[in-house]
Amino acid sequence: MSSISASALQNLDESSRKDIMQFIEAEQSKSKVQMSIHNFTDMCFKKCNANKPITNGSLDSSEEACLTNCLNRFLDTNIKVVQALQGQQH
Amino acid sequence: MALFGSSTAAASASSPATTPSQQLKKEIENQISQELAVANATELVSKITENCFEKCISQPANVLRPQEDQCVSQCLEKYMRSWNVISKAYITRIQQSSNDK
Repeated sequence: MSSISASALQNLDESSRKDIMQFIEAEQSKSKVQMSIHNFTDMCFKKCNANKPITNGSLDSSEEACLTNCLNRFLDTNIKVVQALQGQQH
Repeated sequence: MALFGSSTAAASASSPATTPSQQLKKEIENQISQELAVANATELVSKITENCFEKCISQPANVLRPQEDQCVSQCLEKYMRSWNVISKAYITRIQQSSNDK
């Protein structure tokens, strides 16, 4: 897959190295957000379609609300848990 | 946020690379973007397959039945729409919490 030779990498100048490091960091945080979205979608799709068959490919307003609420309440729960555990430390 | 490799287009649109170092840098960055886009797409395919198999094929027969086939197409479409809704809501939430700080 890789077409970039290892020896060429050693000839990179200082500023290019820096740029690449920054680029990787940015891509890593983008990737983290995307992976979170994958997990949230998986979780909320299951929750919002539980006990009902798929009858069409679109999302009506109640389905859309279910997904948004699912995400926001999950994040609220996450914050609550973190706060509760932080409170116990003192 | 676009689903597949949004940064690739932005990277190649900037000023043309002049030195060999800059050229190599672009190549490396493009390759990284591409690999992440592939990883993202792979993850999406795997999640959709899992969810839609679970939802649509309750009793696997010796063929994919027409109604199962239709269910999978609809499920796929619904899942991708759901991905976009969650993506938008999550990014809104991230932006809200960074504004509050």
